[in-house]
Amino acid sequence: MALIQVENVRKKYQLGQTEVEALRGVNLSIEKGEFLSIWGPSGSGKSSLLNIIGMIDSPTQGVVRLDGTSINGLSDKEITKLRNQKIGFVFQSFNLVPVLSALENIMLPLQIRGEALKVAAEKAMHRLEEVGLSNLAKSRPDHMSGGQRQRIAIARALVTDPSIVLADEPTANLDSETSQNIIELMRELNERDQVTFIFSTHDQQLLDSVKRRIRIKDGQITAEQGEAE
Amino acid sequence: MFFKMALRNIWKNRRRSIATISAVAVGYMGLALFAGYIESTRAGLAEQSIIGERLGHLTLVKIGYFSAGKIDPEKFIFSNDEIDTLKQELNGDKDIELISPRLDLSGLVSNGKVSTIYTTEGISAEDLVKLRGKYADLPGKLDPSNPAATAMGEELATILGLKQGETAVITGTTASGLMNALDIEVGEVFNTGSAGTNDKFILMSLDLAQRLYDVQGAHRIVLKLADKAMTESKRKELEEKLASRGMPIEIKTWNELSMFYNQVMGMLESMFGFLFMLVMVVVGMSIFNTMGMSVMERTREIGTLRSLGMQRGEVVKLFRVEGMLLAIVGCLLGMVMTAANTLSAELMNVTYVPPGSTEAVPLSFLHLPENIVFYFGILVLIGMSASWVPAEKAAKMPVVDALGHV
Repeated sequence: MALIQVENVRKKYQLGQTEVEALRGVNLSIEKGEFLSIWGPSGSGKSSLLNIIGMIDSPTQGVVRLDGTSINGLSDKEITKLRNQKIGFVFQSFNLVPVLSALENIMLPLQIRGEALKVAAEKAMHRLEEVGLSNLAKSRPDHMSGGQRQRIAIARALVTDPSIVLADEPTANLDSETSQNIIELMRELNERDQVTFIFSTHDQQLLDSVKRRIRIKDGQITAEQGEAE
Repeated sequence: MFFKMALRNIWKNRRRSIATISAVAVGYMGLALFAGYIESTRAGLAEQSIIGERLGHLTLVKIGYFSAGKIDPEKFIFSNDEIDTLKQELNGDKDIELISPRLDLSGLVSNGKVSTIYTTEGISAEDLVKLRGKYADLPGKLDPSNPAATAMGEELATILGLKQGETAVITGTTASGLMNALDIEVGEVFNTGSAGTNDKFILMSLDLAQRLYDVQGAHRIVLKLADKAMTESKRKELEEKLASRGMPIEIKTWNELSMFYNQVMGMLESMFGFLFMLVMVVVGMSIFNTMGMSVMERTREIGTLRSLGMQRGEVVKLFRVEGMLLAIVGCLLGMVMTAANTLSAELMNVTYVPPGSTEAVPLSFLHLPENIVFYFGILVLIGMSASWVPAEKAAKMPVVDALGHV
C-alpha cells in the first residue's frame, strides 16, 4: 500500500474574476522512504500539489489517501492533528518563530502535540545534535545564517518522527555550498530513518540528488524519472 | 508555551506594548483613584450624616410623619409614655447603643433688631455626647448644665451679629398652632459644614425645644447602632418586632434621610459610570489595535503554527493570552501609579472645598479590595475580548493563505 495516493486531483483558485486551474487531474503514488522531487516552472502547480499532500490545502476534486485512508471529508481539527502526527514541513523562508530559540523552535510541534516539556526538550536536543547545531540551542533565528536556520527547520520537521517531510523550495534561499550540505543532511536522514522526503524545487543540485523526479507543467504531470522504491 | 511566546512577543514589540500598557495603566489608575475618592467620600459623608447631621443609623417615626407631618404635626408626636414603651422594647437589644428622641422645629430668631428664619433640632446634651462618641469635642456641642444654651450656625450668628454668651429670642408655633417665644443663649458658634444650613441652624436641648413647641414628646426617635453594617438588617428586624407588638412605626435608614449624601453620591456615581465606559472603550480599542497589528504582522507565523499542528482554538488562545498579559501588566502598573498618587496626595496634604461645603477637606482615597480586584478583572477581560476578534480572524484564515502572507 502506497504511503500517499493522489487520485485525479484538481485544484481551482479564484483570482479576482478569473478562475485558475492549478492542478488538472493529477495522479501520483508515493511509497514510504522515497526521496523525490516535484519540479517544474513557476506557476506549474508544484506548490499546489505539495500543499494538498501536506493537508494545508484541499483539492477541488479528487482523492488524497494517506496510509490508505482518504483525508477528504475530515474536519479541520482532525486534519490539523493528522498534520502534527504524520507530516513535517520545511519552508523556503525557514519560517522559524522569531521569539523562540533554536531548541524551542524544534520543541514546538511536540509541545503542540502535548508532550511533556522535559521529553520535548530531550527529543529536540537530539534532533539539534543530528543537524550539528547543538551549540546554537539557545540562539534566536535572527542570530543564525540561512543554512543554520534551514537546519533548524529540518530538525523541527523531523522531531515528531513524521512519515513524510514536505520541503517547498528548501534550498532556494541558500548559497550552493550550504544547499549541498542541506541536501546531504536530508539524504542521510532519509536513508537512515526511511523518512519520505518530497521536495518542490527547480534547484538542479537538489534535482540531481533525488531518486525520483516528477515533472509538472500546467497542472499536469508531464514526465517522471527514477523509480518509486 | 503560550505565556512564553506571548511575553516574548510583547517584549519584541516593546514600543507598541508600552503604549498599550500605558493606556491600560492610566485607565486603571483613573478608575481606581476615582473609585477610591468615591469610597472615601462615601465613608466621610456617611459619618457626616450619622454623626454630623445627628441622623444616627435608624430613625423611628409614626407612620405617615414624613409625608404628612408638616400638615398635622401633633398627630405624629411620640408622647413621653410612648417613648418610654419604645425604650423598654429596645433597651435589651445589645446592638442598639443609643435611643435618642428628637424634635424638629423652625421659626424666626431675633437679636432685638433683626429677625431671620431658623431651623432647629432638639436633642438632649447627653445623647449628643453618646452619639458623637470619639468626636464628642467637635464644634456644635450643648451644655448639659444649661438647657437654654444653644449652638448656633456661624453664618446665622454673623447675620444677627451675635457672639458666644449673648442672647436672642426665638419664636415658633406650638404643636397646637399657637405662637410661642423663648430666650436662648448662644452657647457656641460653630460651622455646620454645609452652606445650606450654616446660615439658619440652631442646635438646642430637647428640653428647650419641648418648651417652645409646648409638648412633652418627640417627632423622631433616633437609634445609634453598634455597627453601621447592620443598619438594613436591624431595620427589618425592628419593623417586624414593633409591628408584632402593635406599634405602627416607620423606620428610615440614615442614607434614606440624608439628602446631601444621596445627591453627592448620585452625582459621583454618574460621573464614575461615564468614566468607566470611557476607560473600557479606550482600553478595549488600544488592545484591539495592538493585537490587530500583531496578528497582521504574524500571519505567516500563524500559518506556520497551524501547519505544525496547532489547532485554531490554540491560535486564538495564543493571542488572547497576549492581550491578557498586556492588560495584566497595565493593571499592575496602574496599581503602582494609584498607590503613588494616593501617597502623594496624603503627603502633600492636598485639600479642596467640596460643593455646598464651607470648609476645605483633605483629598483622600479609600481603596476597597473588592474594587481593586474588580477593575483588575474587568480590564483583563476587556484585554482578552479585544484580542479575540483579530485572533479569531487569523485562526480562520486558510493555512496556505496565511503561509503565503507577506
